[in-house]
Amino acid sequence: MSARAPAPLLGAALAVLRKDLLAEWRTRIAVNSLFLFAFAVLVLVGYAVGPTRLAPEDRPTVNSVLLWIVIFFSAMTGLSRVFVKEEEAGTASALRLAAPPPAVLLGKYLVNILLLFAVTAFIVPLFLVLMSFEIKCPSLFVVLLVFGCLGLAGASTFTAALVSKASAKGALFAVLSVPLLLPPLIAAVSGTQIAAREEDFKAGVDFVRVLVAYDGVVTTAAFALFDAVWRE
Amino acid sequence: MRLVAEGLSRSFGTRKIIGPLSFSLENGRVLGVAGENGSGKTTLLRVLAGLIRPSGGSVRFFENDETEGGLQPRDAYSLLGWCAPDLALYSELTAEENLDFFERVRGLVPTPGRTLALLEDVGLPLESHSKKSLSFLSTGQRQRVKLAYATLHDPGVLLLDEPGANLDEAGRAVVQKVVAAQRTRGIAIIASNDPRDLGLADETLSL
Amino acid sequence: MKSFGSVLKALLGLGMAAICWGAFLYARPAQNFVGESSRIVFFHVPQAWVSTLAFFVAAWYSWRYLKTRRIEDDEAASAAARLGFLFCVLATVTGSIFARVMWNSYWNWDPRETSIVLLLLVYGAYLGLRGALEDPERRATLSAAYALVAVVTVPFLTFAVPRMYQSLHPDTVINVRGKVEMSMDIRIIFFSSMVAFMALFYWMWNLDRRVSRIVRERAA
Repeated sequence: MSARAPAPLLGAALAVLRKDLLAEWRTRIAVNSLFLFAFAVLVLVGYAVGPTRLAPEDRPTVNSVLLWIVIFFSAMTGLSRVFVKEEEAGTASALRLAAPPPAVLLGKYLVNILLLFAVTAFIVPLFLVLMSFEIKCPSLFVVLLVFGCLGLAGASTFTAALVSKASAKGALFAVLSVPLLLPPLIAAVSGTQIAAREEDFKAGVDFVRVLVAYDGVVTTAAFALFDAVWRE
Repeated sequence: MRLVAEGLSRSFGTRKIIGPLSFSLENGRVLGVAGENGSGKTTLLRVLAGLIRPSGGSVRFFENDETEGGLQPRDAYSLLGWCAPDLALYSELTAEENLDFFERVRGLVPTPGRTLALLEDVGLPLESHSKKSLSFLSTGQRQRVKLAYATLHDPGVLLLDEPGANLDEAGRAVVQKVVAAQRTRGIAIIASNDPRDLGLADETLSL
Repeated sequence: MKSFGSVLKALLGLGMAAICWGAFLYARPAQNFVGESSRIVFFHVPQAWVSTLAFFVAAWYSWRYLKTRRIEDDEAASAAARLGFLFCVLATVTGSIFARVMWNSYWNWDPRETSIVLLLLVYGAYLGLRGALEDPERRATLSAAYALVAVVTVPFLTFAVPRMYQSLHPDTVINVRGKVEMSMDIRIIFFSSMVAFMALFYWMWNLDRRVSRIVRERAA
C-alpha cells in the first residue's frame, strides 16, 4: 500500500524522459528524421547559396535567417513525435492513468530540449563552415541559440500535445506553431545578425532578454493549460 | 474503498451512450457490467477511470469512511488500475522495462525482484520476456502484461474491460487470481459478456 | 425588447451612413498625406482595433469555457475569432492599399504590418485547429487552450521587432506624446466610427452566437 500519494514531479518526469530516450534509441525515428532533414537542407543551402554567392555585407543578414530556418524546420519535422506517438500507439491512456500531468509535460519538454540541442549542435558547426559564416561575438551567439531552442522546444511541445488529438497532425503542427514562434524567431534572427556584426555582447542583449522572457512565459502558460489539453 | 455513482450519463454530441446510471459498490465487492455490443460498457469504464468526463451526474471514490465528499476519478488516478482492449503498452520496450517505467511514474521504487515477482504473478516467467520487446510477445502474453500494469501499484479500484480476452485457460486462472487479490484491498468492476468473466462478480449491472 | 433592438439597429445604420458622409464629404484631407488617402483612417483604424479586441474577447471566453465547460462560452469564443479574422483581413487590405498610395508599395514589413500578419496567422491557426477536431467538447477544450497560449505569446512581437527600425506608419491615435492630434471635425467622425464598428462587431457576434445555439438545439 505505497501508491496512495501521487508520484513526485521530478522523479516521474525523469522516468518519462528515460522511457522516451530508451524507446527512441531502439527506433531512432525522431532522431533520424530530424538529422536527415537538417542535413538535406544544409546541403541544399550550402550548394545553392554557399560561401561565395553573397556579398560580404549581406552575409550576416542572410546567413542568420537561413540558419534559423534550418533549425526551425528541423524542429517542425521531429518535435511533435513525443505526443503524436503516444496517441497513435494507444499508449497515451496508460500514461494518463499513471503519471501526474505536469510530470508528463516536463518529461516530454526535456526530451524535445535534448533532441533540439543535439540537432542544433550538429547543424551550427556545419553551417558556419559550409557558408563561411563568421560570428564576431560567439558568446552572444551561443546564448541566443540556447534560449532560442528552449523557446522553440517549449512552444512546440505544447502544440504537439494539441495536434496529437487532431486529424492531419503533420500539417497542423507547423500551422499552430508558427504564430506562437514568430516573435522569438524574429528576436533570435535579429540577435544573430548583431552577433555576426559586432563584438560587443551588450549590442544584442535586448534580444536575449526578449527570448528569456518569452521562454518563461510560454513555459508557464504551457504548464497552466496542459492538464486541459492532456486530459481534456 | 467505496464507489458511489449518481445519475451518471455520457453522450457524444447528440448520441446518448450511457445513463443516467446510479449504483454503489462496497469494499471487497466485485461488480460485473454486461450488455450487448454498443451498450456503453467500455464508455462506462472510461468514465469511471477519469479518461472521459461524464456529461451528467457524478462518480465518487471514498478511501475510507472519513474521506469527506470523496474523490473524483481525475483526482484518484493513483488509486485506479485499468486494463482494457484499447489500452496499449510500449511495444519498443520489454515487459520488464514497461512495468519498471510505470512503477517509476507512479512514484514507486522499482527493484528487479519486485518487477519480476509481478510478472511471475501473471504467469510470465523470466525466460519468455527478459530480452524481448513487447511487439514480439503474443496477444495473450501482452494481455498478461497489461494485467500486471493495472495492478502493480495495489490499486483500490480495479477496472477490467474484457479481462479474459485472448487468454488461454492458464490466463483465465490469472484473471481469477487478480480479482481474488483485489477483493482483499478494494473493489473491482468487470465489463464483459463472457460468463467466465462475469462469474467472478458478486452482482451484475446490465446496460 | 425586440423594439428596442430594432431602434438600436436603425441607429447603427444611420450612424454608419452619417460616418461615410462625414468621412468623404465633410472632413478635409489631413496634411502630410498624399491626396485623399487620409480618409482611410476612419475605416482602417476601427477595423484593426476591432480585430485586436475580438482576439481578447475570444481569449476571455476561452478562459471562461475552461472554467465552466459550458459550450455557449466556446461558441462565443469561436464567433469572436471568426469575426476577428474577417476584420483582420479588412484591416490588412485597407492598410495595404493605403501603403501603396502613401509609400508606393503594397507591403513594407513595417512593424505594424508585421503584427497584423501575425494576428492573421493566429486567427488562421485557431480556425484551422477547430476544423481538424470533430468532437465538439474536444474542439472547445483544445482551441480554448490554444487561444490562451496565443494571447500570452503574441504580444512578444512588440518587443521582438525593435524600435530601432523606423516605422513608416503614421502615429497611432494616442501617440507617444500622449495626445490626440486631430482637428475637432476629424476627431468626432473618427471616434463615432470607432463606436459604430464596435457596435457592428457586437451585433454580428450576437447573431453568430444565436445561429450556433439554434444549430445546436436543432441537432439535439
